[in-house]
Amino acid sequence: MTEDNTHEAMPENDTQARESHAQTATDGGVAAGRETADYLDAEVNIFRPSTPFMRDHLRIIWVMFAAWALLVFGPVVATYFATDAMTSVTVLGFPLHYLLTAVVSPTGALVLSFVYARRRDRLDSAYGIDHSTGGDDPDPAATATDGGGGE
Amino acid sequence: MTPLQLLPDALNASFKAVPAVMVSAMLLLFLGIGYVFRVADTEDLWVAGRSIGNVENGMAIGANWMSAASYLGMAALIALSGYYGLAYVVGWSTGYFILLIFLAAQMRRFGKYTAPDFVGDRFDSDAARAIAALTTILIGFVYSVGQARGMGLVGIYVFGGDYTTMVVLMMSITVGYLALSGMLGATKNMAVQYVILIVAFLAGLYAVGWTQGYSTILPHIEYGALLSELDSQFTEPFATDSFYLWVATAFSLIVGTCGLPHVLVRFYTVESERTARWSTVWGLFFICLLYWSAPAFAAFGTDLYANVVGPVYGANGMSGAEGDVIVVLASQLANLPEWFVGLVAAGGVAAAIATTAGLFISASSAAAHDIYTNIVNPDATQRQQLLIGRGTIVALGAVVTVTALDPPALVGELVALAFSLAGLVLFPMFFLGLWWENANRQGALAGMTTGLVIWTAAVLNELVLATDAGPVVPVYADVFPAVGAALAGTPIVFAVTIAVSLATEEPDERIKRIVRQCHSPEPMGQQESAEEVATDGGQVSAESQPSSDAESDGGPRRGE
Repeated sequence: MTEDNTHEAMPENDTQARESHAQTATDGGVAAGRETADYLDAEVNIFRPSTPFMRDHLRIIWVMFAAWALLVFGPVVATYFATDAMTSVTVLGFPLHYLLTAVVSPTGALVLSFVYARRRDRLDSAYGIDHSTGGDDPDPAATATDGGGGE
Repeated sequence: MTPLQLLPDALNASFKAVPAVMVSAMLLLFLGIGYVFRVADTEDLWVAGRSIGNVENGMAIGANWMSAASYLGMAALIALSGYYGLAYVVGWSTGYFILLIFLAAQMRRFGKYTAPDFVGDRFDSDAARAIAALTTILIGFVYSVGQARGMGLVGIYVFGGDYTTMVVLMMSITVGYLALSGMLGATKNMAVQYVILIVAFLAGLYAVGWTQGYSTILPHIEYGALLSELDSQFTEPFATDSFYLWVATAFSLIVGTCGLPHVLVRFYTVESERTARWSTVWGLFFICLLYWSAPAFAAFGTDLYANVVGPVYGANGMSGAEGDVIVVLASQLANLPEWFVGLVAAGGVAAAIATTAGLFISASSAAAHDIYTNIVNPDATQRQQLLIGRGTIVALGAVVTVTALDPPALVGELVALAFSLAGLVLFPMFFLGLWWENANRQGALAGMTTGLVIWTAAVLNELVLATDAGPVVPVYADVFPAVGAALAGTPIVFAVTIAVSLATEEPDERIKRIVRQCHSPEPMGQQESAEEVATDGGQVSAESQPSSDAESDGGPRRGE
């Protein structure tokens, strides 16, 4: 899968540029028109994130993607290469390979999904983004309540 | 033609009054709900007015997702194929995470109606739209054949009768219900269907575990202790199928999850991109409830079968038809009361109907909206669109019914074929379309064609043209197994799409702006699509009224 090599491929941008961008992003909230233009002029390429928001978002995505890949394909690969060890160890009555595949993988994906949604919400609030759908409701608590529904 | 009569021998096939009344009442309930929420307008038919919330959409994701393949087919594969069956558990659950981090919210921001809509608009090509629409219809067809087989087999337990009658009966009910209700009705129903199927499945698992002394409060873990008593084939890794096939199957199911049009449309029905994210988490939780249980149910069923009926593996072992009803069969072998086994069977029917509904709606909107209105007759009235949509549902129902009379594989395998198709043709378009603005029309056309060819060749090779001696070209089947063709195939499709895109002209600035809008953190209005925002911003500069309107729709600006 192509995405696997991408951790190296992600450019580590110098902090200075990052900070100045971040500033635009946070303060830019006031001038709505200019903000839109900013995002609409920034290239979208998964290996070359061009806005601070995308860079921060993609960092979360890639780290969690790596964790996910390990959880999903780790057990079966380990079972293939160390068949005896994986099948002879017993945990909770299960042979280890069976437990890891049948129980841990799906559960892990669920936990990761929850963590991702939480982190993305936090990222949104760091960038001053509010998804409450009313549009006229200035109360920041609305977001919190919304989020409560999601947990 | 003389259809093969599938008969799960160990299943008690006779008319049973109480289960029959239960299943009939459930079907009437679906019809009733569908009728109450029936629709006359296309926005409601296809995306339920974009008004569905977190938990409700999570349940709809769950019900839409968990078909007869999850309810019946997964336990069957685990019972019949042992460790290989777990590739289905892993593939069908963990794929949602990839969908969540890479596609869900961006798709919501794109804000169109259907998967072909996305492909057609993103790559600015009616040909691409047509290929995506045909793929959607093909996916709906293959997937539904599995559902029809599942419903037919379960129907035998409830109503007696033979397999053919049951398939025809169940499919007629599904089609009638769909033609009446549309997406809003179907979505309202999905929450109900989810509750029925999960309650039935868990109740069945707990009751079997409890009465047979396998488990008490947490059968999802307690079945572990039983594993050592089962035939070693149940747990032995790679006993029947190779390591490569395991990985290929899991991979195909994962990318297929991210490419299925009826899964995707669930993100178009929600209020906002944030709801799209959280409802994915909820959906995965609801899915896991069943996926944690399926291996346990399979283990109980396998043990009961070995004790009561005979050896599970080998020449006279469990048949495919028996395997596909192992969940119902286990409840019957545990001597649970007839009404209770009926409940478990009803859950299977609810699962099959909910998914078939989602698939048929996707297929009908592909035909009416993407092919008819966008390509054939741009002036189509709503009435004409609805007519074409409903006509597609009826026609597809008929073709599925006929094919399901002699299905070439198990429920789970049939459904997996649809996943490998989605993973090969649509997933690369969604992924590249959203994450690489330079992916262009020529690239998409070349990529989708490559994907379709790989899949068609795999299915012809292994299922349609294969003889008793095996696949026509064994080497091809080794590299591109039909249920797992995406492992080797999807990277090829990616490579072709990227190479052709690089070799040809970059897409228009207009398209690039739409892609960028999908990734902008700025909130968008409930009824807004990325195209509207991007185009508004493009034509008029910073002082523009439309642009700031669009902005304020989404949410309050910060005061400083």
